[in-house]
Parts: sequence; C-alpha cells; structure tokens
Amino acid sequence: MSIYILRRLLGIVPTVLMITLVVFVMMRSVPGDPVVALLGDAYTEEDAIKARVAYGLDKPILVQYVIWLGRLVQGDWGTSVLSGRPVLKDVLVRLPVTLELIVLSMAVALAIAIPAAIIGAVKQNTWPDYTATTVAMIGVSIPEFFVGVLLLLAFSFGLGGLLPSSGWVYLPGTCPSMVCGVSLWGNMQHVLMPAIALGIGRAAILTRLLRTSMLEVIRTEYVTTARAKGVSERRIVLKHALKNALIPTVTVMGLQVGFLIGGAIVVETLFAMPGLGTFGIDAIFARDYQQVQGFALVTALAFVVINLLVDLTYTFLDPRIRYA
Amino acid sequence: MRSRHFLSGLTALASILFLLSDQGLAQTPKRGGTLRVSYGNEIANLDFHTAPGYEMMWVAMNVGCGLVNITPDGKFVGDAAESWQVTPDGLLYTFKLRKNVLFHDGTPVDAAAVKFSIDRLMDPATKSGMRPFYEAVHSVEVLDPLAVQIRLKQPYAFMLHMLAAYRTGLVLYSPTATQKYTLQDRQQGKPGAVVGCGPFKLIEWVKGSHLVMDRFDKYFQPGLPLLDRVMIRVIKDPVTEMAAFKAGEIDFIASFSPEHVDTLKAQNPKAQIMTGKETTPMLAAMKVTVPKDGKPMSKERAPHPIFGDLRVRKAVGCYGLDRQEIVKIAFKGQATPWVGMNPPGTLDTVDVNHLCPYDPTKAKALLAEAGYGPAKPLTFEVMADTEKSVFNIIATVIKEQMARIGVTANIRVLDKVSWMNTTLQDGPWDMYVEDLLSLITLDSNGYLSNSTSSWSHPRHNDPKVDEYYARYARELDPAKRKVIAKELVEFMADKMYWNNVSGSPFFMVAQPSMKGYVYNAEFQVHFHKVWLDK
Repeated sequence: MSIYILRRLLGIVPTVLMITLVVFVMMRSVPGDPVVALLGDAYTEEDAIKARVAYGLDKPILVQYVIWLGRLVQGDWGTSVLSGRPVLKDVLVRLPVTLELIVLSMAVALAIAIPAAIIGAVKQNTWPDYTATTVAMIGVSIPEFFVGVLLLLAFSFGLGGLLPSSGWVYLPGTCPSMVCGVSLWGNMQHVLMPAIALGIGRAAILTRLLRTSMLEVIRTEYVTTARAKGVSERRIVLKHALKNALIPTVTVMGLQVGFLIGGAIVVETLFAMPGLGTFGIDAIFARDYQQVQGFALVTALAFVVINLLVDLTYTFLDPRIRYA
Repeated sequence: MRSRHFLSGLTALASILFLLSDQGLAQTPKRGGTLRVSYGNEIANLDFHTAPGYEMMWVAMNVGCGLVNITPDGKFVGDAAESWQVTPDGLLYTFKLRKNVLFHDGTPVDAAAVKFSIDRLMDPATKSGMRPFYEAVHSVEVLDPLAVQIRLKQPYAFMLHMLAAYRTGLVLYSPTATQKYTLQDRQQGKPGAVVGCGPFKLIEWVKGSHLVMDRFDKYFQPGLPLLDRVMIRVIKDPVTEMAAFKAGEIDFIASFSPEHVDTLKAQNPKAQIMTGKETTPMLAAMKVTVPKDGKPMSKERAPHPIFGDLRVRKAVGCYGLDRQEIVKIAFKGQATPWVGMNPPGTLDTVDVNHLCPYDPTKAKALLAEAGYGPAKPLTFEVMADTEKSVFNIIATVIKEQMARIGVTANIRVLDKVSWMNTTLQDGPWDMYVEDLLSLITLDSNGYLSNSTSSWSHPRHNDPKVDEYYARYARELDPAKRKVIAKELVEFMADKMYWNNVSGSPFFMVAQPSMKGYVYNAEFQVHFHKVWLDK
C-alpha cells in the first residue's frame, strides 16, 4: 500500500508539471501582458520594454518557464507584477476560504444526493422517484451563478437580509490577516448561500449517478440473500447496498472537484468572497502571470491529491480492492 | 387675532420640537464608527505615485495629503499648505506650509519633503503617470523648512488644479519611509512602507479581501477625522453590491453602475444618490493614422484605411450617430449627448452639439463622396471591452445606427487588458467605445489627445492640436482661455480627432446615516469630515 502511495505521489510531479507548462504557454499566448496594466497611463513603449526586461518577460517562453520552475523548487512562487505581493502568501491567505467552500458544497451535494438517490432507487417508478429525478435534472441544468443570484435575491434582498450577501467571516483561529471578522456563526452565515449555489449542481449529478448505481446493487444476489436471511430493509440499503453503490460515485466526486474549483470562480465573484477563485480570475484578467501560475499550481495539486485520496477510499468501501 | 397668535405659537413649538428631534440633533457630527465602503474594482497596488486606477487614487486621497485641495465650486483650499502666492508672470509658486503637519511615521511635512515628492514624480525613473503634468516645472527650491517654491519654465494656468486633482493630485511622500522601503514594499502595502500625512493611516491591505485605514490621531486638522476606521471591500457584481447595500452591510458605494441606479432608488428610497454634471467623456474613437512601415508606434504614419478620410469620420462619427438615442438606450437617459471633447462638467466646457446633428442623409452623401455605397459598402469594426456593460450596449446601438446609413459595423469584445494592449500599442482597430478619464479641466485631456502622447489612441499627427493645448495652458487670463478652449474643441470636433458620444455619468451611493461627505465627482474623495449618524 505504501509503495502504491509513493508511486502515485511521484506520479503527481509530471502531471502537475504538465498542467503548469500548458497554463504557462497558454497565458503567454493570450494577447496582452501585465506590463500594460502595470504602467497604466504612464505607458510608453520604452518603459514597457524596460519593464519586460526587468520582469524577465523578454525571454523565450520555455526559458521563462524553467526560471519559474527553478525558483519554485526553492519555495519561491514568484511575485505579482501588478501588486508586488508574494504569490505564495496570497495563495495561502485565500486557500482556506475556497477549501471550506468546496468541502461544504460537496457536503451540501451529498446531503441532497444520498437521500434522494436512495428514495429514487428504493421507490423506483413512483412519484418520489420521479420527483427526485426531475429535481436532479433541473439541478444539472441551472448554472451556479443563476442559483446564486436567486439565493441572493431571496435571502439577502428579500427576507429582511436574513443572510449576508457578500464578504467573509473566518472560522475562529483561521484569520490570516490583522483585521478579520471571526465567528463560527458568522462564517456559517457567509458560506451557506455560496455552498448551496455551488453544491446544488453537483447534488443533481451525484443523485442521478448514485440512483443508477443503487438500482444495480439492490438487484444483486447478495442483496437478495440478505433479504432472504431476514436482514432489515433499512440495514440492507444503508449498510450493504449504499456502501457498494458509492464506489463509482466517489470516483465522480473526485472528478467533480475540478468543476467545483471552476464553479468557485463564479460563486466567489458573485458573493465577493476572498478566495482562490477570485484570485485566479483577477490574475487572468490582469495577465498577472505569476499569480496565474500560482493558481494553476495549487488547483492542479488539489485536483491530483484529491483524486489520490479518492482511489485510497476504494479500499475502505470495498475491502476486496488492494493496491500493491 | 387670537387664532394668528395660536398659529405662530404652534409654529414656534414645531420649530423647537424639530430642533430637539433626531433630525435636528443629527446635524451635530458624531465621532467614531467604521465606514464600510464598497469598490467595484480591485486596487492595483499602493504606490500612490505610480499605480493606475481610481480605486488606488481614492485611498491615496485619504492616506496622503498634498499642498492644496479643490472644492466642488472650483475654489482652492490649503491642505498641508497654509497659504500660497503666485507671481504675476505665473512662473513662481511659493507655498507656506502649516507648522503642525506630520507624516504617519512621525516625521514632519516640511519643504524638503515637498521637494522630495515633486522631484520623485518628475524623475523619469519613477515612471509616474503624473509626470506629463509636471512638464512645465523647472525646479523646486526649499526656501526655509516651512516654505517651498516651485519655479516654472513657462506659465501654467492649471498648476493648482494639477496639484489638487489631476489623478491623485500631489501626494506627499515621507522621505524617510520612501528611502527605507522598496517600491515593492509600497506596492504591496507593507505596514510602515505606505506613509502619508492624510487623515487616515493605512493599517492593512489584503488584496482581494479588504483595505483598512484607521484615524490618524495627529492629523493636523483639529478634531478630524471623525471616523475611527474606513474599511474598503471589493464587490464586483452590481446585484451583490445592491443586496449588500440594502442589507446595510455597506455604507458607501464609491462608484455605482448608472444602469442600476433606478433599481437601487426603487429599492432604497432613502439612499443618498450623489451625482453631478458628467466629467468623463464617453467616446466612439476612430483611428486616424496607422504605422506606415507596419511597425506599431512607428513615427512614420499613413492614413487609416477607413477613418484616415475625414469625410468618412464625419459621416460615421458626426452625422451618422444619433447621440440622443444612444443615451436613451444605454444610459436610460441619465447622460448628456455631447460632441465636444470636454464633457459638460469640465472646466471651460463648450457645447458643440450643433456641429454634429444627426443627419443620416448627409452621412450617406459624405460616404458616397468618399466612394462608399451599395457597390462598395463600408464595413468597419467597433471594439468594446468588458470593463463596463454599457460599452457593449453603445457598440450595439452604433451597429444598428450604422446599418441605417448602409454601413456594416462588426463588434469585437475584448477584456480590458487586451483592449489596452491593442490601443496603447498602436494595434489594429477602427473604432472603440470607452470612457477614459475624468477631466477636471480641458488641459488634463492633453495627454490623451495631443499628437505625441502614447494615450492618444487615434494617433492623429496634427501639431495644431498641440499648439492649441500649449496656448491654452499658458494663458493666464481666464476669459482668453475660454476662447482658446472653444477653438480647440471646435477644431477637434471638426476634424473628428476626438469623437464623443456623450458624457459618462458617475454615481456614488450612501446610506442615509452617512453624513458630511462632500461630493466632488472622482476628483476628491475625502472621508475626513464623514461621520455616521447611527
């Protein structure tokens, strides 16, 4: 098992390198560079040339990539051309916000998907099943920003401002700066709407997948045997069927992390959250190459590490799976 | 008679009750509290002498102090300067500084600090956007610790305007802190590196999250500022911004989208919606020349294949545009259709709308004269960027209006950086829709529209424009200046070197509890007299 983990961990390196290289080349192929935004109305062609030399932007792309990589190995993620701030510092400040959003939106998704899928599978072709399937279809079809705007209008505009529309309150002990709102209750209030907006689409996908998987499992012989042995229906569904049906769902959950990061960009912008999503999108629009690289690196790492964890979860869900 | 006495008694009683009521007492400023401000865009960085963007400037105006400020009615008031004198030839400006002005690091604001700051801005190595405005300055001399003299090469009628309100105005830098910290430290807002002499000191800037400024207790104006703290957050989505405002999560929206003003008014009838005559031009700029050798920024120029012909510029930009309709659709009527280069709220503004009446027949005739018609239809591209949705709407209306005169306008939408890249670097474009910069004076538009500026995107190469600007800036008689301004604006409209569609309205929104704020468009955003009636 440990050899397998080590092998997978080593496999992460080329994957992440490839992703960062692709992002590096793509960003530099997009028209515009950060020097234009940096110089603003003081722009002159001569100053722009000097600034490009100063930031190493005059070198060939691959040389720039190697330099970036060399510094990265030494723990230097670079400095934003526009704000002059160290990229790693900004990433670390923003990462916890996005992590919490992603974890909670996945929790929202599972909290909706698991009961809906179970009802759909156990009561197949009845109105509860049709309702769950229809709601799932609607959930898949509605983009995150639309759900977000609806929630905003309902709970912040309407209902006397029941939930805060924007901003962030940190969990106790996690404030990354001098001035922060810190409160568990405040944090929950701030994260609730974004987590629902982001989680609802995932809930729909997982519901459909888990329901199909459950339907297959409850028709297997071992479930029939369990019923014949007089095991209660509740125990059959929750202990025997659900656990096995979760394997494909967990795989998709891992893949959904990528979509969650993408969705976080939209949701964080809508709810003005100081997370990695807004960091990434601002960096892309400003052509702040160092920040974009930092964003790409951290999201690539998150994606591959989560998928490794997903693979390891299989051994818990199905003891027959062994990694050598 | 008795009833008259009764009525006057009642009136007196009502007056006393009013004075004792909350409304009456509310006019006494209260000290303390946090003003929560919302910005629609992120601050680029915190080096006040070089960073671009209004968001930074509005911080600089509160953390920093300068020599003078300007009131909404155009009067100059001293900031760190107590008084000033100008010689009759307009070549020497002597400023007497207040005795008790300190930088946030405790060092004094003296003549040496003023000289240091102006020299720094004028140094090409600083790469300050303010540098072009100091072109007329010959030198700065320290007369004594509290007296500083600015010597000009030639008279500059807008010296005080420039020091007060061109971009950030003059922001004094503490020589001690500036020498101690690097540019990068200031850009990232490192504690101790961003040191001003304004009413608020910078506490923290967390990019993407918030900026915090606290009251500077040793601020030179006694009893000010009234607020304990100003907290700025970035909320980019106007719907979220409106929700946050309605829920009372923010007190002040520093720049609010004109297209959402009616909605906000309907939802918050008590909100203070502040605006004034437009000072920002909304352009449908047309490129006049292109590089002859194909190399961007080349000094060798050739006429633009379409808009190099004045007849086409006039057909499209002058007679072909129905400005009334654009304003009605894009701004819901909340802007002024305007042909002149300087919008209605700018000093020495001139209404030259009569030079470009909407006249599709005349437009078609000019196009025919230039060789365009059904046999050779004119097609060009309108570029809009995504910074404001209104640019796109205007581009769409222009497309529709062009179709009416038999012209095809294709819309190209870019993000802001790509737009800047194309326009600043002399890239290929025909027409763009943008609002560039707020203009407190016509002079401040020089670096956007003379023949040598990198920001003169149409890249006309007519030295007559430069001559007009130079004459205008050097003329010390306001009446004569007004005449030159009229000539310049008429010339620009006649040649269509600068094609305005309208003014671009600017709105600020405040909760009813925010008091003491003096609206002065984008030019002066000061929170030192603001207080919260909560």
